[in-house]
Amino acid sequence: MEQLLTAKKLFRRVLLALIALIVVMLLCSLIGTQHISLKSVLASSNRQNAIDPDYEIFMHVRLPRIILACIVGAALACSGVVFQAILRNPLADPYILGISSGAGLGTIIAIVSGFSWTVWGRSPIAVFAFVGALGTIWLVWFVGRFTGKSNVTGLLLAGVVVNAFFSAVIMFLTSVAKSQQIYATIFWLMGNIAEEDIFVLWMGAGFIIAGIIALFYISPQLNALSFGVDDARSMGINTAGTQLIAFAIAALITSIAVCLSGLIGFVGLIVPHGVRLIFGPDHRQLLPLSGIAGAIFLAASDTLARTIVAPAQLPVGVVTAIVGGPFFLFLLIRYSRKIGWLNK
Amino acid sequence: MMKKWWCLLLVTICWFVAGFAIFDISPARSTVAATSPEKISRIISTAPNVTEILFALGLEDKIIGVTSESTYPLAATKKLNIGNFWQPDIEAIIAAKPDMVITLGFPLYPQQQNLADRLSRLGYNSLTVFNTEKVSDLFDAVEKIGAATKTQQQANMLITDIRKKLDHTTLLVKGREKIRVLYVVQREPLRVAGRDTFINELIELAGGENAIGPTIQKYPPIGTEQLIACNADIIIEPTMGQKNTGQLQNNAIQYWSRFKNVTAVENKRIYVVDDDTISQLGPRLYEGVETIARCLRPELFEK
Repeated sequence: MEQLLTAKKLFRRVLLALIALIVVMLLCSLIGTQHISLKSVLASSNRQNAIDPDYEIFMHVRLPRIILACIVGAALACSGVVFQAILRNPLADPYILGISSGAGLGTIIAIVSGFSWTVWGRSPIAVFAFVGALGTIWLVWFVGRFTGKSNVTGLLLAGVVVNAFFSAVIMFLTSVAKSQQIYATIFWLMGNIAEEDIFVLWMGAGFIIAGIIALFYISPQLNALSFGVDDARSMGINTAGTQLIAFAIAALITSIAVCLSGLIGFVGLIVPHGVRLIFGPDHRQLLPLSGIAGAIFLAASDTLARTIVAPAQLPVGVVTAIVGGPFFLFLLIRYSRKIGWLNK
Repeated sequence: MMKKWWCLLLVTICWFVAGFAIFDISPARSTVAATSPEKISRIISTAPNVTEILFALGLEDKIIGVTSESTYPLAATKKLNIGNFWQPDIEAIIAAKPDMVITLGFPLYPQQQNLADRLSRLGYNSLTVFNTEKVSDLFDAVEKIGAATKTQQQANMLITDIRKKLDHTTLLVKGREKIRVLYVVQREPLRVAGRDTFINELIELAGGENAIGPTIQKYPPIGTEQLIACNADIIIEPTMGQKNTGQLQNNAIQYWSRFKNVTAVENKRIYVVDDDTISQLGPRLYEGVETIARCLRPELFEK
């Protein structure tokens, strides 16, 4: 397997993955509780002002939903890759440094304070979740820095403690506030993918794609970092700077994903590992492929979530865990012996 | 080396500017051309009590879809199923081409609000009823639905009818001493209906009084200490849709026997009731009040 990764090979693989993504998106948009025919969708897109349910469902319900799933899946998978690299911990996922509890706290505060404005089509719940997530992860970062510039353990511990502390604050607020308001939060936080306004999708996609490209720029440095800070420094890499940039971008795209769809677990953990097991740990390849694989995985999971118990729907987190778990174990058994990166 | 970063920044900014230029960011994009009440002919109801109200208003033929919880009247189960109350299927709703979708506005059900928001964003006519959960809201909802479907007359008749039947029970228990009731919605942890619920209102209409004082939460969890301190005269447990009432009754008596100091346990006044008419604000509300009144004073109804 030790063939070197050439630019051509990378390009070919990313291109193939993108084609797979488009095929999956198309397939997903044709699967649903209502049978719709592509022909009538195309026919009514030419006609003006005719309300055809098929067209309506395809354009205004399914497509936005699938695009949202792709954006969120890509963001979570890529930030999973980054957190695993800079924390040098295979258990790291996008939420490990306090994003989940920070977002939770933000939404609870939004609900308790009872705001009712919107920013770019986002409700106060989503905006506060974003602010809470981003604020918390930076808090953890600064606390972690106090334990030493290159100390990953300090960062992880700070994340765990802040998570526990904020979870306790959430429980406290939940007990004190009127219980009926809190259900709204819990429902929202469980992760929900629904159709979104196209403007929101456009903006979200802009941030997340730009973030992924920026991460791709620093992927050679991430490669070095995953050997350990000392090794990376001896290779002449500005470790503190790279860590900061990688961290800032990963925190931002995760917070945006949380803002768009709440907390969707598992994608950020298993997709990077799955891609790493199959294609190897080179971040130049791992990042783009994980992003695309994350998009495919979440779009497919969401399609299952909305069809498997039709006409009811499942929370998408249930599907990512039920489908992703066994699949990941299969990959783990099949490939880990071959490359042995786990017991390095 | 820095060039690629500037490039990325530039492209990103262009992307955002294009976003603002192409799309309309005003949130009030919903241009719901409200269908006039006479023309409403395809109604979807997402809640069982709304379905009941629609049937009571004689709108059976205009209902085209209901959620799977709508089991009364029996004809409701024959209607198109558009998912369940907690997870309505928006695709099925759109495919049914409704001209009005009625959802609940009560904040306890964010999924309902969420559905209403999504539908109005897509330009569908959605009507929200029950913004709070009070008995008076039932009458408001009936009126609102009546006005939206041009059945005001039937609505007024329905309201008068429900009031009359409610009065029948309230008059029966009027002037008698209040019986202290504990309405237990969940056992582990013990959770009861608080003062700020419509179940509390039903208990009061039925001539009782909530044994639990004012609480912060609507359905507060209570400890053993509070349970003993409030010393309820009777305890009522809903069946929550389960059918084997007899078994549940035995089960309940066995469970409560551990709290011997509570008056209700001492006097064996523990009731398991079918809460179909109690836990939803529908046209059969008077039946719910009567069910509770029967638990409080069985002797009044033994004729």
